[in-house]
Amino acid sequence: MKLRILLADDHEIVRRGLRALLEKHEGWEVCGEASDGREAVEKALQLNPDVVIVDVGMPNLNGLDTTRQLLQHDPHFKVIVLTITDSDQVIREALDAGARGFVLKSDAARDLVSAVEALQNKRMFFTPRVNDLVLAGFLEKGQTVSRNETPKLPTLTAREREITQLLAEGNSSKEVASLLNLSTKTVETHRSNIMRKLSFHSIRDLVVYAIKNNLIQIELPPPPKSPTGPTAA
Amino acid sequence: MTIRILLVDDHPIVRQGLKTLLEGHSDWEVIGEASDGAEAVEKAKDLSPDVMVLDVTMPRMNGLDACRLLRRQYPALEILFVTQHDSPQMMREALEAGGRGYVVKSNAARDLLAAVEAVSQHRVFTALHSRNMS
Repeated sequence: MKLRILLADDHEIVRRGLRALLEKHEGWEVCGEASDGREAVEKALQLNPDVVIVDVGMPNLNGLDTTRQLLQHDPHFKVIVLTITDSDQVIREALDAGARGFVLKSDAARDLVSAVEALQNKRMFFTPRVNDLVLAGFLEKGQTVSRNETPKLPTLTAREREITQLLAEGNSSKEVASLLNLSTKTVETHRSNIMRKLSFHSIRDLVVYAIKNNLIQIELPPPPKSPTGPTAA
Repeated sequence: MTIRILLVDDHPIVRQGLKTLLEGHSDWEVIGEASDGAEAVEKAKDLSPDVMVLDVTMPRMNGLDACRLLRRQYPALEILFVTQHDSPQMMREALEAGGRGYVVKSNAARDLLAAVEAVSQHRVFTALHSRNMS
């Protein structure tokens, strides 16, 4: 029986590349694709894949929250997170969310097959950096709070995180309400709660928070052209 | 006549996706790949592509700098940017750098074929997420 894989990435080009890579492996099939986290959750519940591969930086519902929702529905889902960054925070959040695999997008061509094989054999797969962090006891330290540490920001609920992401992506409250099948009034209430909890005064604060907490991922543009211009290699 | 295409992106998975899309076209051939702007310049010299599909944000040398260099050295080479940056300003910079086309990665599967067709015929093709222009 074939191993069935669901792919979730907002770029069709990336999904094509992932599909081409994975379907070369005998015994594996890509049973479905999703272009955002919400669609990924719907399709996973519908198709019951053996492995779900999710991009962290997806619109509407990011990959980390997608992972949390999938595992809330069914703890047996096996999720590999794909990300453009392996910052400590993303690693910690991916592990906390319940991901069983963590692969950098830049290394996906090299690591993804090994990651899927690991999950197929009921093992986990993480990049070497994640393994180093685990060995160094980073995760244990990260979970303790000493009296001298700055108190953490209040935790947002899952719904508040969803709304924070959508607002940070530029959606109005009305648009968020439409996406989440809520009333605009409900979204406005959540928005006020979020702003109050986090002591924010503007949408800009919200966007910065969303970036820092990996609710949205951004790729920075190259620096401006230098006066002397490039030289041949 | 076969259009010879060089793919340049720092993510092999993206290059693979672009390749599967382009190789369906009988008159096009992907002749090589590069993972940054500096390698793109070297491979352009070795392989003489007709069209280069070029990412913007890459290590060592970004796509804009590579484009400026390549257009000076190989005026016949047409460059199509395929990038994450859905920004009119970035698009303007890319065209000013000498690019003939600009397509956003989120719509690459929809726009790439038409874009390569256009730039291979020396026509401009630009498509941001919200608007299409050619």
